[in-house]
Amino acid sequence: MIVTTEETREVITGNHAVSHGARLARAQVISAYPITPQTQVVELLSSFCEDGSLDAKFIQVESEHSAMAALVGASSVGARCFTATSAHGLALMHEMLHWAAGARLPIVMANINRAMGAPWSVWTDQNDSLSQRDTGWMQIYCESNQEVLDTVIQAYKTAERVALPAMLVLDAFVLSHTAEPVEIPSQEAVDDFLPPYEPDLRLSTEDPHSFSGLATPDTYMEFRYGIQKSMERALEEFQRVDDEFYEAFGRRYGLIEQYRTDGAELLLVTSSTITSTARVVIDELRDSGRHVGLLKIRLFRPFPGELLRSLVANAKKLAVIDRNIGFGVGGIFAQEIRAALYNHIQIPVFGFVAGLGGRDVRPSLIREVIEYAETHEEPEDLIWKGVKL
Amino acid sequence: MSKKVSFSGFSDMPPVTVSQGSMSFNATGNWRYLRPVYSEKLAPCRNLCPAGTDVPKVLALIAEEKFEEAYHLIWKTNPLPAICGRVCYHPCESSCTRSGIDAGVSVQALERFVSEMCLDLQPDLPSVKNSGKTVAVVGSGPAGLSCAAFLARDGVNVTVFEAEERPGGMLRIGIPSYRLPRNILDRELEKIARLGVAFECSCKVGKDLTFASLRRNYDAVFVATGAHSSRIPPPLRDSRDLVMTGLDFLKATNLSTPPEIGKLVVVVGGGNTAMDAARTAVRLGAQPVVVYRRSREEMPAGDEEVREAEEEGVDFIFLASPTAVQRNSRGLEIEFQEMVLGPPDGSGRRRPIPVSGSSFTRQADTVILAIGEDADLSLLSTYEADPGVFVGGDAQTGSSTVPDAVAAGRQAALAILRYVGVPASESATLSKPANHFSLDALNPDYFAVFPRVEPRHLDVETRLSGFPEIIQTISSLEAVQEAQRCIPCGVCNQCDNCWLYCPEGAISRVNGAYSIDLNYCKGCGICVQECPRGVISLVQEES
Ligand SMILES: Cc1cc2nc3c(=O)[nH]c(=O)nc-3n(C[C@H](O)[C@H](O)[C@H](O)COP(=O)(O)OP(=O)(O)OC[C@H]3O[C@@H](n4cnc5c(N)ncnc54)[C@H](O)[C@@H]3O)c2cc1C
Ligand code: SF4
Ligand code: SF4
Repeated sequence: MIVTTEETREVITGNHAVSHGARLARAQVISAYPITPQTQVVELLSSFCEDGSLDAKFIQVESEHSAMAALVGASSVGARCFTATSAHGLALMHEMLHWAAGARLPIVMANINRAMGAPWSVWTDQNDSLSQRDTGWMQIYCESNQEVLDTVIQAYKTAERVALPAMLVLDAFVLSHTAEPVEIPSQEAVDDFLPPYEPDLRLSTEDPHSFSGLATPDTYMEFRYGIQKSMERALEEFQRVDDEFYEAFGRRYGLIEQYRTDGAELLLVTSSTITSTARVVIDELRDSGRHVGLLKIRLFRPFPGELLRSLVANAKKLAVIDRNIGFGVGGIFAQEIRAALYNHIQIPVFGFVAGLGGRDVRPSLIREVIEYAETHEEPEDLIWKGVKL
Repeated sequence: MSKKVSFSGFSDMPPVTVSQGSMSFNATGNWRYLRPVYSEKLAPCRNLCPAGTDVPKVLALIAEEKFEEAYHLIWKTNPLPAICGRVCYHPCESSCTRSGIDAGVSVQALERFVSEMCLDLQPDLPSVKNSGKTVAVVGSGPAGLSCAAFLARDGVNVTVFEAEERPGGMLRIGIPSYRLPRNILDRELEKIARLGVAFECSCKVGKDLTFASLRRNYDAVFVATGAHSSRIPPPLRDSRDLVMTGLDFLKATNLSTPPEIGKLVVVVGGGNTAMDAARTAVRLGAQPVVVYRRSREEMPAGDEEVREAEEEGVDFIFLASPTAVQRNSRGLEIEFQEMVLGPPDGSGRRRPIPVSGSSFTRQADTVILAIGEDADLSLLSTYEADPGVFVGGDAQTGSSTVPDAVAAGRQAALAILRYVGVPASESATLSKPANHFSLDALNPDYFAVFPRVEPRHLDVETRLSGFPEIIQTISSLEAVQEAQRCIPCGVCNQCDNCWLYCPEGAISRVNGAYSIDLNYCKGCGICVQECPRGVISLVQEES
């Protein structure tokens, strides 16, 4: 089956949305190791490579560490590179994640959020990707299959502009294995939007150099400074790319999305698919006259702190739902938000942890969260929701 | 040494460290205590081919469809490839490394294929001046022919004297045409004649011409008269007129009219001659039984030939030896004694020991004795100390094989050239790699299992309709496919693995080979591991 290059609308899973995104972005080198729940991503990509729908070199490897190592090499010569993984696979890649970012290689990867063992789990939570917070990768958390496909394309454009790798993240099963209608853009439209990758520096036999060799204390810090500067620039670039995407395809997602926040005194903050459930609850409460609104954090790295501050300036309280746990502290999004606010504005931030290991976060739980924040004055750092005691 | 670059700060730095200049100052070679050595090894097939064929190179040429080049390369050491491609016992195949992976390469079928493709092609030889030297070759078997061909190549005037009407030795007298069609033999002979070799047939030296006159008229003489005097078991010596020798039977059948042999034929012996005599008898309408004094395992005849004889209806009696033969009213009666196998004898095979009181008889129309042939060198009795007289082939070794005779002829030619003072052309002194390929050096991960091409055989019924050739030549498609199965052992085919894998980049490509820069080779041995075919080996560095 050679897929059409025309624009179509199809009912596809989140995993296949990732594959189509990588195909439309014309990834040139794909290297991956299968892991539940990511397998279908590379399965479809490998058949694209075989049937000629995608002209890419597919490198089979024996581990995720090797997958990323192979892409570090391929990206160094200027190839557009793609991989996908999940949980333990991402953890095994850890060393190479640092390397890809430090070497300033705009590799794009999809990580299907899956809880870390022990004990074994295959269901969703965010601890795998959030553990990679400080590797220098951009991280974008997606809510729908459409957003997944679109984010692959956006991620390449941003990553290549700022010379940093990007990871888009989607929930195991809730998105990865659930089919939704998705607009699949035409190849022509994506080609117009996303130019071929042209790195400033590339590994080449024509002009041989070695890259990323030893940096002494005399220079190392400046390279780190460069990454931070690029991360800061990525905030603007990501916004610009989202705007350009809107112009080209009529869809946009923002860095942080506001949902019914007008005049809201309490702002609920979510990420990924919990957001979709939260939208239903917010609609319900708003319609019954309650002053609540919703913020969906899409871009986690770089963290859009300034934007966040402007969006919460008029609110009285924040309630953050984290599907992750920073052991010894609390939810990681909540920590990030408090850190972003602390020097600037004083707003109580309630930190809720829920839905770990794929446990459902139902509308009733979200209602309880809102209820709790509304009725308590003193903010609490860590409130467990749905845990059986 | 690398260039020293200074930066004022972030604003004038590249995004990552980028080498300027090179690391060539860092001579990692001084870490080394093991040294990789790039040198070709002697492949087992090449080592064991008596004729010295450079099998791996020939196969590589076939794999690239360079059939003529392959032919010329074979001819450098073997002027009878179409014949060896048929009758050689092919030790190249039995020793082939691939037999440890799937099955040995069909080298003989490939040699035959190439020589068939090039049946009309004269070998590509260096042009040399006529040296004015003359050499007489006595005997036109493979040894004589090979010697004549290599002498003629280097500008020596050769005359071959042959007792029979037509040249070829055992190839014409002994080996039946179902294994070696005579048009093939004639084509090979024509090529040698075209090199300027003269043939004097029907001239038996010692009878039609004295050896002394030959020695007088030529600068050197090569004696390759073969081994033609058939052995007779001692108990049957007195009944000589009642029996026929295998060689006489084959010679009569091959050269003129087949003798009357009747239906019941007893063939005594277990070698080539016995097999060919029995199988020829089948084709003449007889029902032969082969009687051999040891068991099947000890038979000197090739396995394939014994199997084919069985397929064709030849019967076998093992562990029996003839003790008498006499005429009776129905024909001949031959008496045998049963044997058991004792401890191994000088030939390494178990010695047959008679079982007393265990005789049996067999009725026969014809008894054929094929227990071996000896050389007769009476011709030479007074020339032993003459340095201008050379001997080779079966005449020197006793019954041996065609490729051995070819090799003996070539060696004799080299010795004679030296003796008469004519320089041997370069290719006549081909040298072989000193070190043998070792199986441990093979990296089997690089070789997938692939079935061997087997040449087709005629079915038994067609075979027995006369003397058609049994084995068929493989197609060029099959030949290329089969040649590609060759490893080749210890021979570099520029796969680039070493060049690619060397972590120090110490290996470079030079004129179709590789060179290792020891200033940077740290002796890790990765190239040795990744060379699929053992061309690179590690040696201990002297401290
Ligand atoms: C029946 C049979 C089957 C065989 N099958 C095989 C086989 O399948 N494979 C294999 O490798 N080997 C085989 N052999 C062995 C092989 O044929 C010999 O080893 C080989 O031919 C020896 O070569 P040669 O040149 O030394 O002697 P020969 O081939 O024996 O040639 C010697 C020649 O010298 C001639 N001659 C002898 N005396 C004189 C003289 N005084 N003056 C002039 N000419 C003389 C003879 O007529 C003969 O033509 C077989 C042998 C026999 C008998
Ligand atoms: S002459 Fe015999 S051993 Fe040599 S390559 Fe040919 S078949 Fe093999
Ligand atoms: S694989 Fe090739 S080189 Fe090796 S023994 Fe067999 S024929 Fe010879």
